[in-house]
Amino acid sequence: MEFKNFSLAIGQTKVSRFAHDLAAGKIMSTLCKKCGKKYYPPRADCSACMSSEMEWRPLNGEGKLVTFTKIHVPPEHFGIRQPLMPFSSVQFEPCPVGIVEVEGGLRIMGWIPKIDVKKIKIGMKLKASPQILPDGKVTIVLEII
Amino acid sequence: MKKVAIVGIGHGKFGVRSDASLRELTFEAVKACLEDAGVPLQEVESMVTGIAGDEFSIALQPSAQVHDYIGFHPKPNFRVEGACATGSMALRTGWMNVASGLADLVLVVGVEKMTEVPTSVATDIMGRGGDATWEYPFGTTFPGYYAMIANAHMAEYGTTEEQLAMVAVKNHYYGSLNPFAHLQKRIDVEKALTSFTVAYPLKLFDCSLITDGAAAVILASEEKAKAISKKPVWFEGLALATDTLMIGERESLTSIKASREAARIAYKMAGIGPSEVDVATVHDCFTIAEIVAYEDLGFCEKGEGGKLIAAKETYVDGKIPVNVDGGLKSKGHPLGATGVSMAIEITKQLRGEAEERQVKNAEIGLTHNVGGTGQVVAVHIFRRG
Repeated sequence: MEFKNFSLAIGQTKVSRFAHDLAAGKIMSTLCKKCGKKYYPPRADCSACMSSEMEWRPLNGEGKLVTFTKIHVPPEHFGIRQPLMPFSSVQFEPCPVGIVEVEGGLRIMGWIPKIDVKKIKIGMKLKASPQILPDGKVTIVLEII
Repeated sequence: MKKVAIVGIGHGKFGVRSDASLRELTFEAVKACLEDAGVPLQEVESMVTGIAGDEFSIALQPSAQVHDYIGFHPKPNFRVEGACATGSMALRTGWMNVASGLADLVLVVGVEKMTEVPTSVATDIMGRGGDATWEYPFGTTFPGYYAMIANAHMAEYGTTEEQLAMVAVKNHYYGSLNPFAHLQKRIDVEKALTSFTVAYPLKLFDCSLITDGAAAVILASEEKAKAISKKPVWFEGLALATDTLMIGERESLTSIKASREAARIAYKMAGIGPSEVDVATVHDCFTIAEIVAYEDLGFCEKGEGGKLIAAKETYVDGKIPVNVDGGLKSKGHPLGATGVSMAIEITKQLRGEAEERQVKNAEIGLTHNVGGTGQVVAVHIFRRG
């Protein structure tokens, strides 16, 4: 699984295994072996102590919603002429996105499918999980627990 | 460090300028600026150009186009970039040139040509102003980022969509009095509230505009300013502060931390507090951003920004007039030009040349310019000469 299947734009990075793990059902973070700082999104290098000795750790995606939106005017990449936005119905209907805070204060961005945006409340409990899309790309969804 | 003044200002017409290219827009502003300063270009020693996007201008070094077109060779030109704060960073770079003694007269240009690409492409380019690796895959856009700030602010402080609309109403009102503004159209709260949703809860009238435009100023050392200018406007405090690239990593989603930090440093350098500011231009890329700016700059308590606009305290005759030039909201937001345009408005206010929009006896003015979603913030404080 190439990293670009997750990032859409950028393919080359030291943390490209993130997309592979996502496809295998795991949301991975990195932990600095030297100073213990945790990173999500994962980083290959620690800016707190400048070490590059990192350990990969899976995250339990359960947490609380920090904030959200629903983007009705999409960027070019998610426009009609491009592959449809994930979780959109046949007619173009955008999917809300949000940020959930999980263990260790780490925050995960993801799509919040199948929900009326007016029913989304900050603080609600959600679980972040990987999801493989019909076109083979891989992403993250936030679902009500 | 030498004292530095603004001694010349030139503002081009902001709008959908399908009649002009990047370099031609620049020429308009530079010409007006030299006329205002009363100095020929030959006397200017150095130039700083603020252009945010290579992608908008479809060029690798767009500042070379601008520099060439005004015929500034063989003198130096520095290009500065910091997304939406580009203009203020260009000003700061110009200030550094003069304050260090390197030059006595410096031209600072801010320009952006944004409408040559379709809106969806512009939205895509701007969206990558966030984290192009980790946030972009979720379809993030600039309105999307600020919508997340709006939802957090509304949940925590009870800020309402009506209060957001009131910011738009004010800025459209003042934009209608500013001949350089992109939109000269007054609106009411009802019109703002019934416009279509761009990114929930932000609607069309909560969003600033995709605009073409240029603005230019001339900065001078104390000796030079006293020799050539009757109405110099002095830099009293400057600060540039930064924060995380990803919005999710921010300490707070109801505040721009880099704004608070830049304000703290700039106030300290100027030796003043927020209550001494007579007039301000703040970064209202979205209505929520203006409300958050009131709070981050200390114009009101945290969480009280919505009430400040509801009480009309940021109108010309209010406690602290804000964006009485129309702001990014109505004047438009050509990324590189915005920070320079803000300084031009403050210069006009401090010179007493703002006509219908004039804040009575304004002596101290402040500009607040946010890059991206708060990755970089510049706050500048000016005093009347």
